[in-house]
Amino acid sequence: MAVQTPAAPPVPLPAPARARHPRRPRLTHWIFAGPATVLFAVFFAYPLGASFYQSFTSTENGRTTWVGLSQYARMLHDPSFLDSMVNTGLILVVQVPLMIGLALVLAVLLNQSWLRFRGTWRAVYFLPAVTTLVAYAVVFQVLLKTDGGLVNQTATALGLSPIDWLNDPTWARVALIGSMTWRWAGYNAVILLAGLQSIGREQHEAAAIDGAGTLTTYTKVILPQLRPVVLFCVITSTIGTLQLFDENYTLTKGGPDDATLTPVLYLYKVGFQQMDFGYAAAIAWVVVAVIAVISFLQFRFFGRERKR
Amino acid sequence: MHGQLTRRALLAAGGAAALTGVAGCATGGISNREAVRLAPGATGPLRGRITVWSWDSAAAALTRLAKKFEARHPGTAVHVVDIGYDNAYDKITVGLRADTGLADLLTVEGSQLPAYIGNFPKGLHDLTDLVGRHAGDFDKAAWKTVVSEEGRAFALPWDIGPLALYYRSDLFARAGVDPHSLRTWDDYVKAGVAVKEKTGTKLLIMDPNEDSFFPCLLQQQGHRWYKDGGKVALGTPQAVRALTLIKALGDRGLIRWERGWDGLVTATKEGKVASTPYAAWWSGTLTGEMPELKGKFGVVPLPAFTPGGPRTSNDGGSTLCIPAQSKNPRLAWAFTRFLLTDKDNQVSMLKREGLFPAYLPALKHPYLSAPQDYYGGQRAWRVFADLAPHIPPVERNKDGAKAKDIANKAVSGAVLRGHDPAGELRAAAAQLAGATGRETVSGSLR
Repeated sequence: MAVQTPAAPPVPLPAPARARHPRRPRLTHWIFAGPATVLFAVFFAYPLGASFYQSFTSTENGRTTWVGLSQYARMLHDPSFLDSMVNTGLILVVQVPLMIGLALVLAVLLNQSWLRFRGTWRAVYFLPAVTTLVAYAVVFQVLLKTDGGLVNQTATALGLSPIDWLNDPTWARVALIGSMTWRWAGYNAVILLAGLQSIGREQHEAAAIDGAGTLTTYTKVILPQLRPVVLFCVITSTIGTLQLFDENYTLTKGGPDDATLTPVLYLYKVGFQQMDFGYAAAIAWVVVAVIAVISFLQFRFFGRERKR
Repeated sequence: MHGQLTRRALLAAGGAAALTGVAGCATGGISNREAVRLAPGATGPLRGRITVWSWDSAAAALTRLAKKFEARHPGTAVHVVDIGYDNAYDKITVGLRADTGLADLLTVEGSQLPAYIGNFPKGLHDLTDLVGRHAGDFDKAAWKTVVSEEGRAFALPWDIGPLALYYRSDLFARAGVDPHSLRTWDDYVKAGVAVKEKTGTKLLIMDPNEDSFFPCLLQQQGHRWYKDGGKVALGTPQAVRALTLIKALGDRGLIRWERGWDGLVTATKEGKVASTPYAAWWSGTLTGEMPELKGKFGVVPLPAFTPGGPRTSNDGGSTLCIPAQSKNPRLAWAFTRFLLTDKDNQVSMLKREGLFPAYLPALKHPYLSAPQDYYGGQRAWRVFADLAPHIPPVERNKDGAKAKDIANKAVSGAVLRGHDPAGELRAAAAQLAGATGRETVSGSLR
């Protein structure tokens, strides 16, 4: 940390040897930094700036005009946008804790010394995260088919009545949450497992000597140390949920009755299907703002305890 | 999601890039230009090369007839690209916004074209000066889809989708219902109840996410999403009647929900429903994908809302248009004319690819009056050909896609969640008016 000492005497420092080479950027610097800078400017800075500008414009009959904040104001009265935010909130509150909890349990199990074929198990749980989206979508469509789908066949065999998974607004949400959890729980479990493995055996032993049972060891010793890793998982999952597009696009297209519509899917529809690019850009920037605020709060909420 | 920060970030950046890269060009590019009028005049032999974008059976038809065209005009080359339906409009939209990258001739559905004409007034060639004498040769409802609100023509209609009721003759016979007695939608609901009781089969398939039945029921009654010069028409008595009908079908358990095209085809093939109120081009799918059901289908005109009312509507149908960025519009136009204003070529596309012609002279061809084995000897094409001139022409504009999404929500709200149709439509009309800055038609629900 650079601590300022304003009263420091003005001792003339001996000129460092390097001072002969002035620190002005030279051609060589730019040659090295050039490709990255150009790529950043073209694919990051320009689109960001242009979409920000675009969010204050509206294009009618081929003419683009400056409309100030009115695209942002539209969102307040747009039932579809509000629905998409409610859906995202619901997924955040239900799916993220469910998935992180499940990932923790999996990670702890995978970390047990008595477990055999540990590498295989780890791979099995990680596989869904690297499965191509199309395969994933097809498999879930087949599993969740109303008649003949494996899920409903099992339910019928157990004497339950079959469920119209993807065609009923409520069940479609359940299906979406379930399939997201399937896809990402293992991924988070592997990250948490890495965290668990960085906690040495001696901590388990010390806790045991102090008389702590397994449960106490985990809740009082291990989990508190895992906090930064959990925080990482929670934040990336939150961001992922706020940017949710592929899962619901492939499974339900946001329907039925907007029950699985998310802001990013909605902005795709608004931009590319309804050709309302200004409004789509405004939605994108609201999503960015929401992600920034929520991530900041999570850092404050979780992060502060770490320093104590 | 969850954790794949880098991939996500890239995707997000890519999306933003797509959104905006496009914007940058649009402001500098097309907006200051007049629509390019393609005029007659140039003479001499055609030459050069064009690329055509299309998909599925339409692409097959183009490829087949392109060879014939090339043989007739030596020195020309027509390159047909099947760009696939799923991303076709994403590609075309981006190409129009960027003012580069499109083919010389594009297939665009009639339902989508008004959005392009309205949003990209300088994006397509204005064909008005060329089509003049052909205008009357095309189906009125299809012609409405290719002209702007100012009456300029930007495409030629290719095929249309007059609606009729396909029914399973075996199931209707078992239920003791004569399909020819279905004169109104009330008759249809009653028949559905009888068929379900006797055979256990539901009556029709609907898509919970991307419904096309509701707008067809609107067009049958004379308007689609908008009427009276661009006013929102989701809250009209006609709309309430249409949604109430769908809800009645749903409440009696007569609807089978299937997502997407594959769901529709599979469930029909498996005999899960007794009827399909659908367009003429569905016939190609039946004969192509379900040859084993030969002799089990029949076709009757669509039931009407009121006795004596219109017995058809329209779903789908495509057009061919020439983007302003085309390097060889003259050849593109010559190929378009060759395809679409030639009786024999049009009939060959019905025969081979199942595309029902929007070109009226083709409907008089004897092929359309021949009995068809697949329909147990019924003259099925005749039913559609006789209905085609009665498709109610409807007003369209650039905001069709917005209306479709919002109407979808109203349909699933009423049918799946059991809400009141009038209430759902009132909310939908208000939402659409807000999203488009348009008024709702007078006499709508308040």
